[in-house]
Amino acid sequence: MKKDSTLYVVLFTFIVCAVFVVVLAVANEGTKDLVAANKQFATQSAVLGALGIPYADAAEASAKYAAEVTEAKTTDYRSWKAIVEGTSYAAVEQSGAGLWGTITIILAATADGENVRGVRVLAQLETPGLGGRIEEPWFLGQFEGEKSPGGKVAMKAGAEASGKADADKANGRVEGISGATRTSQAFGSIVNAGLERIKAGGVK
Amino acid sequence: MKNSKAYMVLKDNLWTNNPIFIQILGICSTLAVTNNVRNTLIMSAGVTFATALSSMTLSAMKDLLPRKVRMIIQVVVMSFYVILLDILLRAYLPDVSKQLGPYVGLIITNCILMGRAEAYAAANTPLMSLWDGLTSGLGYMAVLVAISIIREILGFGTLLGIRVMPEGFVTWTIMIMAPSAFFFVAMVMWWAKTVQAKGKVGQGAKPAAPAGAQPAAATTVANKETSK
Repeated sequence: MKKDSTLYVVLFTFIVCAVFVVVLAVANEGTKDLVAANKQFATQSAVLGALGIPYADAAEASAKYAAEVTEAKTTDYRSWKAIVEGTSYAAVEQSGAGLWGTITIILAATADGENVRGVRVLAQLETPGLGGRIEEPWFLGQFEGEKSPGGKVAMKAGAEASGKADADKANGRVEGISGATRTSQAFGSIVNAGLERIKAGGVK
Repeated sequence: MKNSKAYMVLKDNLWTNNPIFIQILGICSTLAVTNNVRNTLIMSAGVTFATALSSMTLSAMKDLLPRKVRMIIQVVVMSFYVILLDILLRAYLPDVSKQLGPYVGLIITNCILMGRAEAYAAANTPLMSLWDGLTSGLGYMAVLVAISIIREILGFGTLLGIRVMPEGFVTWTIMIMAPSAFFFVAMVMWWAKTVQAKGKVGQGAKPAAPAGAQPAAATTVANKETSK
């Protein structure tokens, strides 16, 4: 068969594509369980992190998750309950628009929404090095134990922001990231939307 | 050893024909990932892996490849390796996969892959093409890592996440943003081309040559290099 004949070209392209697609499908199928386990661990560790339950590794995380956290029955979104250090907390998953894509967080707070326990980022597509810094401990640490009067945390972003973490836990205020005003503002409203969910009392 | 084909390919890809500062390929990813050394290392390892294996595969099938669908097949092979890499990262290195996000998929559009497939793999043996892809990736990695070290130190005050600058150091926000990579890529180009041009003047300098002819000769050589 001539190499430039239509039949050869079509056959060749078809066979090459088929072979590569089959290999990819096998690879995808073979790692499916592992990917699902990773995803589950990501959610579990975020919930534990938000609730302030320490864990050392994946095995401990999944054991502690099973023992201390109960997934609550909410229809529209995932939520969890746990009693940590004698206080009962509710945790919700909350998504919202960031600068580039959807930001999904896990937010834990007291059931009245007046005290934030902690926040973890589950998924985000913000600019690496700028908005992407919402995952950094100094930023998320500001929310830990922060008072949220009326179920609101004020995000100081843009010109108001100092770019340094706000250490005062009683003022209900956190500092945004300098150079990432939009992401900080979006993050602030996602946290507040999450607090709203908890305050509404859906987590039972 | 010094004049073997493998050595020449290595020298070409790392220095005389470096993908970044001579061929000016893959600049998009250079701007995007070099604000952090860790991401840079992972990204360039990914590019190296994909370039080497796709060059080898394409070279192996070059005698069967109809010219009409050459580019389509090239892209199929490259995407295959990149998606494979993405799947492996997601399964075995979920943290890294999360950090790199969409960048892994964008390796497909990195011109270095297509460039090596067209320029080298189309006319050489699979083993040499693998070596060519590997060294091209290393040439890319060398420049990117150098840039990312400076950007991370100035932009974050850290190196591989470890604090190196004093506590009071004011970080340069511009270093985190893509434009700063333009400055550094340009500076690397400037430095490399100056050094290379000097090397050529040195070689071309024969005692009998008239004094005025030397710089002119050097310029022609340099021009030839850029127009390649």
